[in-house]
Amino acid sequence: MGDLGLIINLNLLRATLRMSTPIALAAMGLVITEQAAITNIGIEGIMLIGAFVAVAVSYFTGSWVLGILASVAAGVVVALFMAVIHLKFKADVFVAGIAINLFAIEFTRFLLRNIFNTAGSFYDPNIVPIPSITIPIIDKIPVLGTLLSGFKLTDYLGIILVFVTYFILYKTVWGLRIRFVGIHPLSAETGGVHVNIKKYQAMILSGIFGGLAGAHLSLGYTRQFIENMTNGRGLIGVAAMYFGGVTPINTWFASLFFGFTEALGNNLQTFGLPSQFMLMIPYIATVVAITIGMIRKQKREKNNLL
Amino acid sequence: MNDKLRDFLYERQSLLNVFIAVFTAMIVGTLVIYFMGYDILESYEALYQGAFKGRFNFGGTLERFVPLLLSGLAFAVASKASIFNIGVEGQLYFGAITAAFFGYIIKGVPSLVHIPVTLLLAAAAGGLWAVIPGFLRAKYNVNEVTTTIMLNYVAIFFVGYIVNHPFKNPNVGVPQTPNVQPTARLPKIMLPSRANIGIFIALALLVFFIWLLNKTTFGYKVRAVGFNPFFTDYVGVKSKLIMVLTMFLSGAIGGVLGGVEVLGIHGYVLDNFSPGYGFDGIMVGLLARNNLKALPFVAFFLAALRSGAINMERFTGVPKEVIGVIEAVIILLAAAEVIVEIKKRKSSDKGGVEVG
Amino acid sequence: MYVEKGVKKLAPIVEMKGIYKEFPNVVALNHVDFSLEKGEIHALIGENGAGKSTLMKILYGIYDQDEGTVKINGEEKNISDAREAMRLGIGMVHQEFMLAETMTVLENIILGFEPNKHKLLDYDKAYSEVMDYSEKYGFEIRPNSKVINISVGEAQRVEILKALYRGAEVLILDEPTAVLTPQETEELFKIIRSLKENGKTIIFISHKLDEVLEIADRITVMRKGNKVETLSQNDATKEKLAYLMVGREVFLDFEIEENEPGDRILEVKNLNVFGRRKLSNLKDVSFEIKEGEILGVAGIDGNGQTELVEALTGLRKVESGEIKIRGEEITNKSPLEIRHHGVSHIPEDRNKTGLCKELTIQENLIANKLPDDPYSSKIGIINFKRVKNFAEELIDKFDIRPPKTDVKMQNLSGGNAQKVIVAREVAEDAGLIIASQPTRGIDIGSIEFIRSVLLDERKAGKAVLLVSADLEEILSLSDRIIVMYEGEIQGTLDIEEANENNLGLMMTGGNPDFKGGVTA
Repeated sequence: MGDLGLIINLNLLRATLRMSTPIALAAMGLVITEQAAITNIGIEGIMLIGAFVAVAVSYFTGSWVLGILASVAAGVVVALFMAVIHLKFKADVFVAGIAINLFAIEFTRFLLRNIFNTAGSFYDPNIVPIPSITIPIIDKIPVLGTLLSGFKLTDYLGIILVFVTYFILYKTVWGLRIRFVGIHPLSAETGGVHVNIKKYQAMILSGIFGGLAGAHLSLGYTRQFIENMTNGRGLIGVAAMYFGGVTPINTWFASLFFGFTEALGNNLQTFGLPSQFMLMIPYIATVVAITIGMIRKQKREKNNLL
Repeated sequence: MNDKLRDFLYERQSLLNVFIAVFTAMIVGTLVIYFMGYDILESYEALYQGAFKGRFNFGGTLERFVPLLLSGLAFAVASKASIFNIGVEGQLYFGAITAAFFGYIIKGVPSLVHIPVTLLLAAAAGGLWAVIPGFLRAKYNVNEVTTTIMLNYVAIFFVGYIVNHPFKNPNVGVPQTPNVQPTARLPKIMLPSRANIGIFIALALLVFFIWLLNKTTFGYKVRAVGFNPFFTDYVGVKSKLIMVLTMFLSGAIGGVLGGVEVLGIHGYVLDNFSPGYGFDGIMVGLLARNNLKALPFVAFFLAALRSGAINMERFTGVPKEVIGVIEAVIILLAAAEVIVEIKKRKSSDKGGVEVG
Repeated sequence: MYVEKGVKKLAPIVEMKGIYKEFPNVVALNHVDFSLEKGEIHALIGENGAGKSTLMKILYGIYDQDEGTVKINGEEKNISDAREAMRLGIGMVHQEFMLAETMTVLENIILGFEPNKHKLLDYDKAYSEVMDYSEKYGFEIRPNSKVINISVGEAQRVEILKALYRGAEVLILDEPTAVLTPQETEELFKIIRSLKENGKTIIFISHKLDEVLEIADRITVMRKGNKVETLSQNDATKEKLAYLMVGREVFLDFEIEENEPGDRILEVKNLNVFGRRKLSNLKDVSFEIKEGEILGVAGIDGNGQTELVEALTGLRKVESGEIKIRGEEITNKSPLEIRHHGVSHIPEDRNKTGLCKELTIQENLIANKLPDDPYSSKIGIINFKRVKNFAEELIDKFDIRPPKTDVKMQNLSGGNAQKVIVAREVAEDAGLIIASQPTRGIDIGSIEFIRSVLLDERKAGKAVLLVSADLEEILSLSDRIIVMYEGEIQGTLDIEEANENNLGLMMTGGNPDFKGGVTA
């Protein structure tokens, strides 16, 4: 069982948290828009553009803070752009999302080529990454130190934002209204809530989350930009959002679980074992979870008639 | 606007939108090229030559045309039944690995048997994979966009496993399957390019589906289910079954696409070999407004752009990524459907207004 | 404002004058006046399509009137949307509740007017405010339950409370008892009276005459977009209201020939079906139709007629009971199998079910025939020449305009679209034709044409089940009439003994044994 010990260890748990951060950040943005009845699969493209902008700004200004801020701003712009396509021009939300994702891939590829004159990826020592945080005292405790200390700032921020999202959705007037916009827009409208404005606001928030997730990917999780580096993480965020029942806390657990399958998959790969079945778990789990949800819904509708 | 002109434009509004989308995107591309400091005419000339001049260049266009057409066809066929098949990518992976397997394992048969059998099996594999989201949609009303997106990853990982482990070519360092038998390879038609008879297969499929959808009772049912499933249920059509069958056919086209790529271009399957052919189909389908007869034109236009871009970069220095930007603008405009809206003349009776 | 005999006479709290509203091809409201005194319970009654909901939707800002004025407390107002109505103190409880099921009662009530501290929800304050209201008006609610877990009666109380919480002085209740049990109705009436005591004004929309007479101070009767009369409760009797509601019409004249019914075609026994709403559940419905007979099904919409037709045609599951065509069981068979047994169906919703507007006239005419010869080959290749000939024949016979086979359905008028459906279904040459609201919302010419087609079919020995909310249609075509009320057959009448009065009474839940005429 020696191999098993090598595969499953403290570092795996550490990796789990690291892997889960971009997923969780994206998923929080998705939870908010989904609560407002917008399935924002364009989050993938928002993240990718955010990742690029973060690297570019960090490289040129030497500031990771500006990198993150620029990434968030870019995320908001792209999210608003998608919101206009969907809400104003009535494009199907999935079509709009897919369009944004394809646009992001092509656009960042073009910028990479034009600004940095390179294809594939861009790395430079001048890119200033997001710093790691060492938590004093805990850092020195053997197991706890490994588990809790020394992560990137955005890893911690991601966890905090889970609870912030929960707070926004369930403790504020805005959150209550957003939830009504998603579940019963007509009752929101008659209650004096402007449904479309709320939806735009939700999209702005998801742009912020997507931008953060992108910045974390390129300045925290790594320190470079790679073409299509999101590689489906935004969509795993969609999966986590559905799997977590569109609530922040459960979605975070789903993100951790999916982060775990990814981390374990990577470990397996290092030992030449097939990782693919591990890596496909999030997607299968999501299909199963959505299906069960729909079956339940059908049953409930039937029972309501009895 | 006078009524006749308005009616004329209304009927052709989709065509008009396509034209405007393409035109706008070309303007954007032109501006980009201009502001990057390149000569516009020279660039377009290089683009044109790269797409059409000489066997190699034109063959390159044809080679790119095939996957664009087939994935566009797969997407459009599902759309006829109002199903959004974002899963062509996954379906083509299953088609590809099936083709690689049977192209390799079947030995000693002539091409005339080997190729059709292999492609049919690839079609079946892609089709069956598509039946999963089709069934979930028909039976439980599970949104097929989400399931097909998720199942794409499952398919890619699954094929990744096959390619890396049980069916890996031991003689090569990278994860890829062994080469298929020469009898399974699709003959090339325009050496030195990689264009092959896959183009005839693709065009034949296109003609077949145009015929199927317009001339048969099955096609009639597919279209009617896509427009109004309440209506089809009421007149006695098994709408749900039609949905699943349509999804099978759409997936089968994706499977053929995978098979044609393997047998025609590569001869084997490489881990992660598709550069997103399945997603290209969404763009082709959207641009053609799922009008099957418009598909080859859209696919050919995009293929020429992509093929010409390489030449343009080589001779004028304009980065080929400009084409990516043009494509991105096209798809955004196509997605936002209402580029121009020709309002229909007020009809005399709207029916269905609830008066109570 | 003026003073008369020492009583201060206030302007009506709501005064609508000369309200005119037209929908395409239909005049929904024809210069209607409606006036509401503060503190009264005012019932608004009428059949489906009489215009009562439209009138209230104008008051609540959902529709704009084409002509006419609305005054609130004597001041002319332009009520542009529901928010504006709310601001003016007008609240509405719709038939379909506007409640989010997965949210709590409290959250539903406070939405849009949430008590908060710096934009943070103050649930404690909200709770105590809501409880204050519920004590003041005397109704029980559980603020922290999720809406999905509460009864229909409670959900309705939540809706009323929500309107009060938003500051409603005038409360429009749209058929509030339609979804309630008798006990819940009693409970609701208590609340309505307590609202009145507290100075609120109530508009009570209904077509149940007993209830109206019990609760209302004044009653306004509407018919076909017109206001017929406003009576005080003392002047109203059930018979009088039924007469005013249904009215006497100028009939389209048909010569109906004597016709001896033949063999039994359809036999329905103890049919039980779950409906869209509780009140439309079918309960032990039994009847039969013979060759050469038109059986009219009368009733106000939503009393199970839709469910009956869907069950007969295989579109809705039958829980128990049996349906036989010429002695053969067709219960719970598929729509296609039922069609093969010789049942054709003109559905009530022309646009949603009856046709496919994106397809051509020809494609719609052939829709139920494509699996069969001679219009396609064995493997399903359509023989377009035969299809076209067939379509041209029908277009000619049924005078469908434009007379072209390849025009899309969306370009046809309602009457012509309905003729396409009727043509398709009649051409099937089935033994039983189920015609549901066959002439709803179409022009007079088409109405006459379609009715004569149904009579021709009767003459040809077909059995026809005619479901219609239009009493005039039922009375002028049927040989026998069954009346449906709350999912049951309230009574069966021969055509000779039926008239608007006894039908109207039975449709509104009156005594099924009542058969005599009524003088208004």
